[in-house]
Order: sequence, then structure tokens, then C-alpha cells
Amino acid sequence: MEAELQPQEERSPAPVVGLSLCDSAPLLWRLQDLKAVRSEGLVGALLGSLPRTPRQNVRLGRPLLLLPEEERLLGERGGAAALPAQNQEAAAGELQQRYTEEQQRSFEEQSVLALEDRESALVRAMTSSSGSDPASDEALQHRLLDLEQNFSFPRSALAVQLSTARAGLSHCPEARAFLEADWPIRAQRCPRREARFQVFRDLRGRGFFLTSAGKFGGDFLVYPGDPLRFHAHFIAICLALDESVCLLDVLCAARLGSNVKKTVLLCSPAPDGPVRYTSLQWSGMV
Amino acid sequence: MAPLGDRVCVLWAQGNLQVFHQDLPLSIQDGYEAFLSSDSVSLQQYQVFGHLKRLGYVVHRFDPSSEPSPYARQLNLPRSRDRGGRQLKRKRSPSPAPTSSKTAAASQAEEMEEEDKLPESHLVASAAPQTSSSGAAGEVQARTWWPAEVPERQAGQRSAPGSQRWDFSSICFPDLGSAGRLAPLDASLLPGGVTPGVCDVAPWMRRINLRKVKMSPKEEERERRQRRRDVNKDKEVQRCRNWAEYHKLLERRQAKRQGRPAHLWSGEVQPLHDPTRPISTAELLEKISVIKSTDLLEGAARLKGSEEWRICFNVYQPDSVADFKKSNPGKPYARMCVCSFDGPVPDLRVIKQLSFQSGDVPVVYAAVDHGDISFYTFKDFQLPRDIYP
Repeated sequence: MEAELQPQEERSPAPVVGLSLCDSAPLLWRLQDLKAVRSEGLVGALLGSLPRTPRQNVRLGRPLLLLPEEERLLGERGGAAALPAQNQEAAAGELQQRYTEEQQRSFEEQSVLALEDRESALVRAMTSSSGSDPASDEALQHRLLDLEQNFSFPRSALAVQLSTARAGLSHCPEARAFLEADWPIRAQRCPRREARFQVFRDLRGRGFFLTSAGKFGGDFLVYPGDPLRFHAHFIAICLALDESVCLLDVLCAARLGSNVKKTVLLCSPAPDGPVRYTSLQWSGMV
Repeated sequence: MAPLGDRVCVLWAQGNLQVFHQDLPLSIQDGYEAFLSSDSVSLQQYQVFGHLKRLGYVVHRFDPSSEPSPYARQLNLPRSRDRGGRQLKRKRSPSPAPTSSKTAAASQAEEMEEEDKLPESHLVASAAPQTSSSGAAGEVQARTWWPAEVPERQAGQRSAPGSQRWDFSSICFPDLGSAGRLAPLDASLLPGGVTPGVCDVAPWMRRINLRKVKMSPKEEERERRQRRRDVNKDKEVQRCRNWAEYHKLLERRQAKRQGRPAHLWSGEVQPLHDPTRPISTAELLEKISVIKSTDLLEGAARLKGSEEWRICFNVYQPDSVADFKKSNPGKPYARMCVCSFDGPVPDLRVIKQLSFQSGDVPVVYAAVDHGDISFYTFKDFQLPRDIYP
């Protein structure tokens, strides 16, 4: 059932992704970073509004929030770097000029497209009402000429593009490759966090995809493949090996797992290396 | 009022707003980093805010000072936010005109007092409507308002007793079984033209209690035995060796007959209730209850707020459902408190304090877990008791 792992040597080195902190949460903004992270098997969670359909919560858009375990894994692999705060290279005036030039270019393009739109609408309207007789054809030509001469695209109708990621980096594509992996490991010195990270790393190493499972009463939801294609198989709860657990808590977890048709995994990293797993499954009474 | 960071971010992300800094448009990323931080609006609060806005709710910041105090709520005052001046038009007292600095509470109290004084003033006004000095003209005018008000109110009050329940202790039902005669009817209760004669119930009385009580064979046997019982043949009496023991035996039997057996009542631990004494079911259940039922808001007034837990947002349903205006939003649908799965679970103290602060609007806890938001709320629940008072 475990996915086959490709040997490490065959894979090309993973690209360095740029992380930025917002309220001490690691966020990914650039599209290529999101793709890179997903291809490495880290799922994360999208937080923002999807630009095309903002009024729904089913599919969200950028930024992508990483779990602390995912962030630490990226940092340890040397795959993460801090995004530069502001584009220090170009002076403000130059940026301003570039911006106005872009706006002008966009405006001209859009006015051409708007005119074409109006012309085709006119043709459609006139040819649908009457058949094709020379008199109406001539009238049509006349009207088209009129339109071309008198059409003006108002400035207020200009569609403006809001950039999601910071514009500076997408303007200069060569800057994308120059991120040095310098992300500090912000590990919290807390045994629970440590246990969670060990379990995460182990399960990720076996090829599973993991997301957070707060609403299922556990630490991680474990998917056998990409979450878009599979349902979760396990709810992973991380415990220390010597931690004593109240039986009622075990019962709670087992009941919850059986109600949502997932197996509960009690995961405990051993100090001598491998993580020990215990599964709870509701068996039928015979 | 400058818009707060979360509102800016949502409008911006939805494409309704463009933000400029130093004449250059900001990217959304810059906005997040600039506006969202733990001291202004945290990322988690923004997540909840965005989630609700995308669903269509109207979400406002919660301002604890704009909520009415618990005392004001107890008085059930109308929300006199913008209507202060207009609503008090009715309140005009015969005493010197009120100053505009009086609060709504004081004016309500005065209205109550004035209604008590009304009957006299009403009479005075009707008796002497012509006496009009320049000062009294205003008063007379004001007084003519009240007679129109008062009869309605009194009529309203009078109609209420009609719907009250019967008072059975003052209505007497004649006991036909014991009394020989019925008292003659009061002529005022009968329709006109009907004179009550004397009702002779003697033939009827003769027909009551005619049937012989049929006893079962066991009962008849018992009757016979009781008449013929010989105290000396009683085994327990024979076991008594002296008069003291016999007396004790009699006492025991007496006690058992009366429902107070000695082994229950003579020790230190006695039954909770004497079965011979009458008690209603409700009181009995009260006596034997182990768990006292309580209300969520009991004792909540004394609690002080804590720093970590506070209500963040007021959530209103979208405009088409409720009539919502920015100046007068009305009662919110719910209030949101944002917390995280990594943080502590709200304990009873926090729940009580926030519910109390919120008044009659339910408090919803939005637990954020790296992109998933779960909403929880606590509801008061009464265990049903099958008692009909």
C-alpha cells in the first residue's frame, strides 16, 4: 500500500522556494513556488480569495500557508529562502515610469479589443434582423465606418490587474533563480512539536501526503496520494512513547475515526530511530 | 473612520479595491504583510473574516463600549441611538419643562410617574381647560395628549384579567352528598322572568349511597378476623416476657401502621421525606436531586474579562434577510470569537464571561486550524422534567 519511492539520486535538485512571514506564519505567494512545493509532496493550505470567483469558500487562492512541520522540512532540505522584502534595485521613479508605460500599453490593447467587440456585436445585430440584400449590406458598412471613427474607449473602463505576489520579482525573471536557501529553522523547543515533526518526516518519507486534522481531533490526516485524488486513510495522533493516555481519550479517538471511516494511527517516535505506529480500528462484534 | 486592515484586504482580494503606496499599486502580498499582524488584525482573524465575507455575511468589528450595560438590558430600554430626541416627544410633564440633558432611562422613569399622576391631571384639565396663560397653554396642549393615551392603557390592563385563570379557592361548589338542602339560587344570576323555586333534594338524596359495598372475599375475611382477633393468641405477644416488651411491640406496630418504622426513623440517617406528609411532585424531585441545574449566565456578572479571549466580530445576515443599515445595524446574528486549535480550549469562565458580554446574541467560537475553520457554539439546555405545575 505504501507508495514506491524513487531513489534520491535520480531526482533533480528541488528548486528553492521563497517564503515570507506574515504574523509569524510562513506563506508562499509565487506561482512557481506553489507548484514546486506540491511536486515535493507538501500540501499546505490555501488562504486567499480566488480571483475569478471570489465569493465562495470551496476553492481558495494564494497565498499558501505551510504547516510548521512542512516549513521545517523545507528548511532542513535547504529548499526554502526568505523573499527579499522590497525591490531595492530599481529607484522609485523608474518603477513609476514603468508602471505608467504598462498602463498605457494595456489601455491601447484594450481599446482595440473593445472596438472589435462592438463591431462584431453590430454586425450580428444587423444581419440577424434582415436577410442579405445589398441595401442593408451598404447600411451595415456605413454604420461600421461610423463606429470606427467615433468610438472612444473611456479610461475609467480600463481593466486593471492586481498582482497577488510582489511585482518586483515577476518583473525580473532572473531574480527567481537567485534565492539562496537561507531559511532559519524556527523550531520550537517543545517535545510535542518535536514528536509531530518526527512523525511528519517519517510519513512523508514513506510517500504519504499529510494535512492538518484539527477538525478530526488528530494531528495529521494521512492520504495515500495527492489529496485532490484520494480520501484520507488515517488520522494520525502523535504521542510520546512514555505518555500515559486516559482510556476515555482513546475511546473518543476510536469512535471518531470509525464514524468518519478512517483508521486512527497512534504515532510515537522512539528515541532510537523508527517511529512506532499503532492503529485503532473498530472491529465488528461477533 | 479609517478602514481596518482586514476589510481592506478582503475588498482588495475580491477585486473591488486598489491600494496605492507612493503612487505605485501594492500587491496583495505587500498588503498582507503590512496590515496583518498580531497587534492589529491577526492572520487567523483575517481568515475568519474573509471566510464569512465570501459567504455573504456582513461582518463588523465588535466594540464592547457600544453594547448596553447589563443594567440597561434589564430595564429593557429601547435602543435610543439616533432616535433620542424624536422618541421623547410624548414626555411632557406639568412640572417645569425637562432639560435636554436627561437620559433615556430617566425619561422612561418619569413617564411611569406621570401615568400615575394622570387621573388627577386629567380631571384638572377637563375641569378647567379655559384657564390658559401663556405658560399653561403648552401644558394643556400636552395634557390633551394623555387622555387619549390613558383609556387605551387602562382598557388594555382590564382586558388582561379576563384571560387569567380561575381562582378556585373563591368559587365554592356545593357538596351535594352531605348537605341536605341546596341553597336557593340568587335571582340576579337567572334570566329575567324565571323565579327559582325551592329545590327539594330529599328524593335524590335517598338514592345516593344505596348500593351495598361489595367486598372481595379476602376483605370480608379480614373484617371477620379483625372482629374476632384474640390478643393472647398473637405469637409476637406471646414472645413478650414483660409489660415493657409488650409496650415496645405496640409502639412498633403503631409506627409501622403510621408509616414510620423504627429502623428507618430512629437512627442518625433518616429518610429524606416523611411519606405521610403531603408534598408535590416538583418539590419532591427538588429534594432528591443531586445535580442542581444552573444557567450559563449565573454568576457571570462578577467575572472580569481576560486578555486572551475577546469577541472580535459582530456578524449580521446579508441585507436582504434583515434590514441592516450602517447607522443602525440592529441585533447581530452572532458574535465571533477567534481562537486556534493550537491554543487552549475556552473554559467555563471564558464562556460565561463572553456570553454575558454578548447579551442575548449567541457567541460562536471560530477555531482556525491552518486553513480550516470550524465554528462551535454553546447552547443552554434544560433537561426535561415531566411535571406540569
